[in-house]
Amino acid sequence: MHSTEWSDEAFCRIIQEFPVLNREVNGKRLVYLDNAASTLKSRTVISKMTDFYLNHYSNIHRAVHTLASEATTEYETAREKVARFINAQSEEVVFTSGTTMGINALVNSLVRSGMLREGDTVLISQVEHHANLVPWIRLSRFFGFKVEYIEADNTGTITTDSILTAKSRVNNPKVVSITGQSNVTGQVMPIEFIRETFKDAILIIDGAQLIPHKKIDVKALNSDFLVFSGHKMIAPTGIGALYGKRALLERLEPFLYGGEMIDKVTFEDVTFNVLPYKFEAGTQDIGGAVALGYTIDYLESLGFENIQRCIEELSKYLLEELSKLDFVEIYGPRDETHQSLVSFNLDGVHPHDVSQVLDEDFGIATRSGHHCAQPLMSVLAKGSRIDFPNSTVRASVYFYNTKEDIDILIEGLKYVKRWFG
Amino acid sequence: MIYSEFIMDYSKLKKFHGKIENAHRIEEGKNLSCGDEVTLYFLFDGDKISDVKFEGHGCAISQASTNAMIEQLIGKTKEEAFEILKNVENMMFGRDFDDQLLGPVTNFYDVKNYPMRVKCFLLPWKTLELALNGEGKKPLKE
Ligand SMILES: Cc1ncc(COP(=O)(O)O)c(C=O)c1O
Repeated sequence: MHSTEWSDEAFCRIIQEFPVLNREVNGKRLVYLDNAASTLKSRTVISKMTDFYLNHYSNIHRAVHTLASEATTEYETAREKVARFINAQSEEVVFTSGTTMGINALVNSLVRSGMLREGDTVLISQVEHHANLVPWIRLSRFFGFKVEYIEADNTGTITTDSILTAKSRVNNPKVVSITGQSNVTGQVMPIEFIRETFKDAILIIDGAQLIPHKKIDVKALNSDFLVFSGHKMIAPTGIGALYGKRALLERLEPFLYGGEMIDKVTFEDVTFNVLPYKFEAGTQDIGGAVALGYTIDYLESLGFENIQRCIEELSKYLLEELSKLDFVEIYGPRDETHQSLVSFNLDGVHPHDVSQVLDEDFGIATRSGHHCAQPLMSVLAKGSRIDFPNSTVRASVYFYNTKEDIDILIEGLKYVKRWFG
Repeated sequence: MIYSEFIMDYSKLKKFHGKIENAHRIEEGKNLSCGDEVTLYFLFDGDKISDVKFEGHGCAISQASTNAMIEQLIGKTKEEAFEILKNVENMMFGRDFDDQLLGPVTNFYDVKNYPMRVKCFLLPWKTLELALNGEGKKPLKE
């Protein structure tokens, strides 16, 4: 049964958008529950992108011919769509290759601009993806800022208490960089509370997991920066975006230097192009950016509120059904802040074995491992009541999933438990 | 099906599990990407591997692989162990190998068709390689 958000007709159209859903894997209908790693690709978006490449493509901004003008218009229209999607202005949206690129660019640019200096503190959380952890740790070595953490409790949950404790421990962090939603615990972070608590800090939101299913309004959140990837919301890989408040972007030194980002170049000096081009050095992923625009069109044609409610419904069902299995240990919060994905372990069975059998015998795609959050595994180990394997199984849904998919997962897990005894 | 009866049985073997108190060589191996860990304890009698035990945890493939490896190693010389190791790698990477040398380890032949699981299988073997190359050094930990 599909989510009650969709009529049978609407769901039928959704299924036709994702041809791989009709594919068999190991003799079974594919049950794709690895959406947190990357989502499936849609017929509409890919065929529109193909049409763009085949019939309208050329490099952008640089020539006066017709194709250049068509391609530039498409590219800039895509930027407007992204801007509208997050309630920003076009010139505040920079295309990137994704979240990882966005955060690396920001850390470097903040340091180069003197907005983050030796002795300053950056506050992140213990549940961050390596993309929002490793750049801070490494560059703190070179530039002398400190990295402090909002601690997670032993279910991996960030509470308002832990945020307040961090505030009392860390005097005025210069930057607070936090994920909108954990890719391990599924927790949607209390961003409003964090903004409220650290009024003077530069706030960076890693939107990788949140933006695919929850409206992010950068103005309402008063967020200084937002980074995300397109591939977790059905766009192609290799494209993402960085939002920054105009005043901050204007002060920010670029991360990449080269063509197109300049205004005037002499043998001695350089002045920069206007926003957002100052941050888009070199030939961009033009087709990817255009496809991100088509993606937003498609998601909005379904109704983004419907997608959000569909994910809420499926998440609740997934969490409830997994909770009924007494041999399953679930990580993360046990309330409605737990969205779109659930990490868990089967007592006595290694996550790799779980995922392998689910794939081989049921055609179910899940993810197992540390999910690019190694330090968080040691936090979860503390709260674990089983022999914790330093990794978890993760099942994650998107709007083309059904309750039946979750039922098949539950059947699969019972089988795995019997098989490995 | 990667989980053959052999692999399932060997993943549950207990006889090689544990520590050797006065081991001549202790070597730790890790697969960071999945959290699997193994510690191998070696006892030598001259040039011969007289006993091996292991501690650690991991998936069924890595556990079964460790047990089969130990079974095959006990009683062999270090030189023979190197030869076995070389043939194990040949088997995993689709090259010619001597199945006489590998004994029960040939039961893992199909793992090569599961690229994501090859590193699970190789964990104890990579650890063995470290141990053999570290010959003559003191145990890593007392
Ligand atoms: C929370 C979070 N942040 C960052 C990333 C990195 O995204 P990407 O690999 O697209 O740069 C991911 C994706 O795995 C994620 O889940």
